[in-house]
Amino acid sequence: MSIVPKENVEVIAQCIGINNLSPDVALAVAPDVEYRLREIMQEAIKCMRHSKRTTLTADDVDGALNLRNVEPMYGFASGGPLRFKRAIGHRDLFYLEDKDLEFKDVIDAPLPKAPLDTAVFCHWLAIEGVQPAIPENAPVEVILPPSDVKINEQKEGLPVDIKLPVKHILSKELQLYFDKITELVVSRSNSVLFKKALVSLSTDSGLHPLVPYFTCFIADEVARGLGDYSLLFALMRVVWSLLQNPHIHIEPYLHQMMPSVVTCLVAKRLGNRLSDNHWELRDFTAKVVALICKRFGHVYNTLQTKLTKTLLNAFLDPKRSLTQHYGAVQGLAALGMNVVHLLVLPNLEPYLRFLEPEMLLASQKNEMKRHEVWRVYGALLRAVGQYIYDRVKIFPPLPSTLAGSVLRTNAKVITTTFSNKRKSNADQLEGQPPLKKMVIDGPMGVTPTNSSASYMEGTVIPAASGNSNLISPTSSRPTQDEMISGSTSSKGKRDDQILKRSAVLSQVWKEDLNSGKLLTSMLDLFGESMFCFIPSPELSLFL
Amino acid sequence: MDEEQIANFVSAYLKKKGFKETEQAFQDELRHNKTNSSSSASSIDLDFAKRLLSFSEVENIPARYLEGYSKLRSWAYNSLDLYKHELLRVLYPVFIHCFMDLVAKGHIQEARTFFNRFREDHEMLHLRDLQKLEGVLSPSHLEEMEFAHSLRQSKVNIKICQYSYEMLLQYLHKTQTTVILGIINERINFQVFPGQPSSISDDAELVTLSGSTQETANQINKKEVQWGLLEDSLEERLEKAAGLLSDSEKAEVETKDGDVDENKKRTTEGGKQGASIKKVKKDKTAGAPGKTLRAEANSASMAPRVKPELALPIITTEVEQSILEDLRNRVQLSSVALPSVSFYTFINTHNGLNCSSISHDGALVAGGFSDSSLKVWDMAKLGQQAGNTVLQDENDMSTSDPVTGHTSGKRSYTLFQGHSGPVHSATFSPIGDFVLSSSADTTIRLWSTKLNASLVCYKGHNYPVWDVQFSPVGHYFASCSHDRTARIWSMDRIQPLRIMAGHLSDVDCVQWHANCNYIATGSSDKTVRLWDVQSGECVRIFIGHRSMILSLAMSPDGRFMASGDEDGTIMMWDLSTGRCVTPLIGHTSCVWSLAFSCEGSLLASGSADCTVKLWDVTSSTKPPRTDENKSGTANRLRSLKTLPTKSTPVYSLRFSRRNLLFAAGALSKSASTA
Repeated sequence: MSIVPKENVEVIAQCIGINNLSPDVALAVAPDVEYRLREIMQEAIKCMRHSKRTTLTADDVDGALNLRNVEPMYGFASGGPLRFKRAIGHRDLFYLEDKDLEFKDVIDAPLPKAPLDTAVFCHWLAIEGVQPAIPENAPVEVILPPSDVKINEQKEGLPVDIKLPVKHILSKELQLYFDKITELVVSRSNSVLFKKALVSLSTDSGLHPLVPYFTCFIADEVARGLGDYSLLFALMRVVWSLLQNPHIHIEPYLHQMMPSVVTCLVAKRLGNRLSDNHWELRDFTAKVVALICKRFGHVYNTLQTKLTKTLLNAFLDPKRSLTQHYGAVQGLAALGMNVVHLLVLPNLEPYLRFLEPEMLLASQKNEMKRHEVWRVYGALLRAVGQYIYDRVKIFPPLPSTLAGSVLRTNAKVITTTFSNKRKSNADQLEGQPPLKKMVIDGPMGVTPTNSSASYMEGTVIPAASGNSNLISPTSSRPTQDEMISGSTSSKGKRDDQILKRSAVLSQVWKEDLNSGKLLTSMLDLFGESMFCFIPSPELSLFL
Repeated sequence: MDEEQIANFVSAYLKKKGFKETEQAFQDELRHNKTNSSSSASSIDLDFAKRLLSFSEVENIPARYLEGYSKLRSWAYNSLDLYKHELLRVLYPVFIHCFMDLVAKGHIQEARTFFNRFREDHEMLHLRDLQKLEGVLSPSHLEEMEFAHSLRQSKVNIKICQYSYEMLLQYLHKTQTTVILGIINERINFQVFPGQPSSISDDAELVTLSGSTQETANQINKKEVQWGLLEDSLEERLEKAAGLLSDSEKAEVETKDGDVDENKKRTTEGGKQGASIKKVKKDKTAGAPGKTLRAEANSASMAPRVKPELALPIITTEVEQSILEDLRNRVQLSSVALPSVSFYTFINTHNGLNCSSISHDGALVAGGFSDSSLKVWDMAKLGQQAGNTVLQDENDMSTSDPVTGHTSGKRSYTLFQGHSGPVHSATFSPIGDFVLSSSADTTIRLWSTKLNASLVCYKGHNYPVWDVQFSPVGHYFASCSHDRTARIWSMDRIQPLRIMAGHLSDVDCVQWHANCNYIATGSSDKTVRLWDVQSGECVRIFIGHRSMILSLAMSPDGRFMASGDEDGTIMMWDLSTGRCVTPLIGHTSCVWSLAFSCEGSLLASGSADCTVKLWDVTSSTKPPRTDENKSGTANRLRSLKTLPTKSTPVYSLRFSRRNLLFAAGALSKSASTA
């Protein structure tokens, strides 16, 4: 009945040499032990309060024991909080680790550093009621519109007296800091120092007053320097770091920041030189956008809708350049599977139809252009593939293998890259070399007959990948030469092509999941090339 | 009901009580009666007999408590909404008394189960009481624990409307839960009033089970309190001087502020004038100071004047001049003109700082440490060498600065050693030449900041001295201790002048009234008391806090008092009525310190939640003067501003005479996470 079990009393009695303690005595002593414990704790809490603390320490307990004229417990006075360890196998049993120490070690050990002496420092917590933004103060809270306080004032009929927002007075240190950072961004964004600066931006707590200046700076520089790829990338990294900083309330400045960010995502041209890898910048910016939406989407519900609208417009407008399409697709994909489902998939079919002619060597002679098309195609592919993957994950029973297989194909595509792409490319060009044809026929042949029966997926996918491996050394080289002979951009293209196959695959799955109708339309769309993907067991399962 | 049964009851009862012979006699008589076959008392009603029977069922007591209480509880919860909250109030006292009855009767096991079963009903309002009671496990504990003891001794007052009362009585009679009925009769004092039930929001009327009964508290609170300010105070002199000046030179004063020299000349002039005038005007009735420039802003000037009960120390003219100078340069604070706050951060305290104190001019800061030392920093000196130490500290926290600390041979502070236990409180004299510190070694020590030495050790308390405070005029000081007393001392005597006894638990904090005729003490028994210094009597008891009181502050006009508790609640009290003006909710942790601005318009509070909050006091204290009764909800005190610190709990606050707010606290790494 007491929280002190009588067994404890017995154990302690034995410890102090009372061996024949009768159970009755133990039973009677237990409640009193509990009462005394509580009494001591009550006094200890008083001692704690009078030491202006909110955590109880061993000193407080000693103080309480002193108050009761009891000898204090020795050996626990550490000053710091006690480090309890959880006893293994018990949920709420803790103990203090008590290590054995060798005297020799203790004596030989070098003297610890003398603790720092106490000191007092002085700063302004507030000047006429306003907290100056200095590092000594807690990060200033965002200036909120004075809401209820003002209303109350008016109700009471008291003279309303609104303090105008105070002018920020930046300390000298902050000004220097800002100058240094901006200089780094503009001129030396490749230096090691810039990386340090980014770390500082993402961790320092006293930066809040600078946020408006940074947002202005970013907006200005993005507007001015669209041709400067490295500058843009540096700016986006600054945005990323600022977003990471837990001490900064960036929300009020988001509306200023978003246009610049979106610009870096869907601008027609980013960077002047051909060598500028603006694709990478767009990818990174997509990540930034996704982060913003994730963090502030619930605060500003219009944020994501506005953003998706912008991106969708960019995506669906055929007059826009392909680079813009790419950015839009990346942005949409980064926003998650729901966005992909709602916005990308419905538009996929017409868009693919628009893309298809461009992808072919025959119809699109411009190498650059074709490269871009493949890029966009790849982005779409990844978006849809990711969606399918996520989608598949939702169904628990089949999925484990299925998801694995999808992943595997994806991985294959990215790592080995060669064969599959060639295959799909071949399909489209209808110039399939016999070897490849055969490989494809394997699965194809099965499909029509077995479409309703469920297939062991394990067999299919390995087969496919096996194929690719087989083919790559032998046939892919020649085919490549044949098909894209002399093309310089082959590497990038290849990637895209590879991706394409799995994309079509995933599209098909996707459609299967959703509607049979779409499947047929897809079939119409892709014609023969479609067949090779149908045999996948998933299809039959979902049918 | 036939006779046989009755006879059985009677014999069972006798047996139970151990009256063997009586039983024997009874049996004999019964037999005898039977033969006579004549009975007269056969018409005893069944009901009564059953009740009698229930008395005899000795084994079943715990069950009946449990049943009775749970029935009452479900009945109260199912009662009409309008009356429900009144009836629910009855539950708590019944609950704890059921529990204590069970314990007293030795049913420890059952008491525990009973307690645990219903405890969560009351946890929200009475958590701390429950935590205390939880430990009561044997009848002897009931006697020993003063809280339980006082509960057993006193009756609870519950205000209840007529109809609720009738409903309750009806229910109790109908269900015949005698146990509960007994408890209610024995422990609860109903104050039945006609008409509608009181509103739920009426917090003040909520049952607080304090040791002292409401009646005695009421009785005490009837005593008169002269809350006015001292006549002939410095402030008053200043006002008079200003008034005199303004008559002659008003126009000039208003038009020009820029000419510093001239102003200065005039003010010093005014000071002298004031000093001389005071002698002339001394006999004049001080109650109504004339219209002065400051009159409307300065609520202190409205306060009535009282004569000092203590012999006041003489202030030297230089000191007087400097104080007058400060008063003249005072910034007027209000809800629209907030003060500047200067924050003193203690670093590297290694969790050892127990208290801090700031002198009236902010130049000296004292810290009391758990290693028995008292350290005093002179901020003026610190400013000179602050440059290098600050840099050093920020650059490398780990590598110490023994270079500056030791090789140069002097620390940045003055170390006072002499106590033999943790220092729990320190206070500066008004002029800043003395420091008092109180310690767990049961002594109070007086130190001189001029001589850097201990002057006197005051022994008198028997337990740790939690708090010590200089009176506003200096010379006298008050202390309070774990021994449940507060004491008044003067610097020149080593024995206390007065001992204030009456609190039921530790006295945790003490504060002087502005006119030095009263002190207020806050205690772990959750009450604040006001004591007359001259007579040593308790003149007010303020009941309403739900946990230990940690800080007190008196308004400069002497009319109000603020008290802060462990839960973060601050209460404003009207000294004359003894009632709570309004609670101030906002802090989430212990309120360590409270301070009124010099003209009484703002209240600053410092808390363990690492914030300084500024409250508008005028809006709440003014309206109740006009309509005293029911404006309680309308004029809640407003929180004007919250100033968060950087993980530094605020230990002490002080408004300087010029209305600059000083705050001090120890930087603690863990405070932000805790």
